[in-house]
Amino acid sequence: MTQKQRVANAAAYVLHALPYRETSLIVELFTRSHGRIGAVAKGAKRPRSALRGVLMEFQPLAASWSGGGELKTLTHAEWKGGQPMLAGRALLLGYYLNELLLNLLPREDAHVELFDAYARSIAELGAGGAAAPGLRRFERILLAELGYLPLLTETAEGGVALDPAGEYVFVPDRGALPAAGQSAHLVRYRGAVLNAIAADDYSDPAVLQQGRQLMRTLIDQVLDGRMLNSRRIFFEMQEP
Amino acid sequence: MSVPNSLDELIAALRCLPGVGPKSAQRMAYHLLQHERDGAQRLSRALLAALQNLRHCTRCNAFAESEICARCAAPRRDASLLCVVETPADLNMMEQSQLYNGLYYCLMGRIEPLGGVGPRELQIERLIVRASGGEVQEVILATNFTNEGEATAHYLAEVLRARGLKVSRIARGLPVGAELEYTDAGTIGQALVERRPL
Repeated sequence: MTQKQRVANAAAYVLHALPYRETSLIVELFTRSHGRIGAVAKGAKRPRSALRGVLMEFQPLAASWSGGGELKTLTHAEWKGGQPMLAGRALLLGYYLNELLLNLLPREDAHVELFDAYARSIAELGAGGAAAPGLRRFERILLAELGYLPLLTETAEGGVALDPAGEYVFVPDRGALPAAGQSAHLVRYRGAVLNAIAADDYSDPAVLQQGRQLMRTLIDQVLDGRMLNSRRIFFEMQEP
Repeated sequence: MSVPNSLDELIAALRCLPGVGPKSAQRMAYHLLQHERDGAQRLSRALLAALQNLRHCTRCNAFAESEICARCAAPRRDASLLCVVETPADLNMMEQSQLYNGLYYCLMGRIEPLGGVGPRELQIERLIVRASGGEVQEVILATNFTNEGEATAHYLAEVLRARGLKVSRIARGLPVGAELEYTDAGTIGQALVERRPL
């Protein structure tokens, strides 16, 4: 049950917007105070609408809405500034973040830490520079906030702190287990690498590479067979 | 009350139009049948003729009656310039400026990373073939300044540049005749980020 809301000037980002009727949009917003919400932006496509050009993805907004159902009515949105438009590769990575949230975050479930992590990632993507460490950090916080992140610093059974020199595998639905005797199909991770991933420390290229592998595996498990369009198109666009 | 079959079918068919729900479709159907029978005849003929005669111009990909549309066949146009737009409506706006005398390529869409529309779905290969025929010297990317338009322009710039073509993007900034005081902050911010040396 959702209660009737009237929210003013909530920090928000547009995750996705779809045309609705002749001149309106249905927007999926990621808000700091209320998590993901769906809202109708009436008349947002009219030439003189105050919302025209404001409801863009990857831009910090102050959004106001009201309503009690599944879909709210967006009453106002204002650009908060300070964020250049994403361009090139960073833009495509931004779409990946948005699609993750659209797929995994239920509506009206506030995750302040996740919102702040998202805002930080978008700001980093806008500033240029290496994107990978920021993406891995975002993926880790996303999984942790939604309760899908296995313990990265101790074994699943027995809760023994990982030996930095030891080798471990991730067994779906269980977690990190010593690699000895486990299926050869499972990827081996060194304890030190897992500790670094848990601490978002990607100064070592090997950690970055394995972090990518681990997050990909964990996210694919949560997606449970659903494909990410942005991921497919990202790779299609890399092969000119 | 049962609705006659043909009427039912007409109402259902009208609902394929954008923004037309069951109520509007019913209103349109009754209107056409009661008050606008000549108009209805004309509509059905025009729709059939358009479906039979229109195809995509092999040069610009926009709708044409023949294999090559009149605009692409015009001898006075500068064939060394190729302007890429998202839709025929965008193409018409470019024409209205009366400042462009080159040719066009109409994508009939844009890359939509969340909607699952990528280079393959847009048949970008056709544009690449069109642009690398030897005639074209410069490709001007005139996709929208939305995120999807930017993603499309980014991709096209990469693949066309890789084939040795000169690629440019239409400029973004304040509208002509605009005053800063009355312009939205987003436009001003982006104009500042993309300022150019004088």
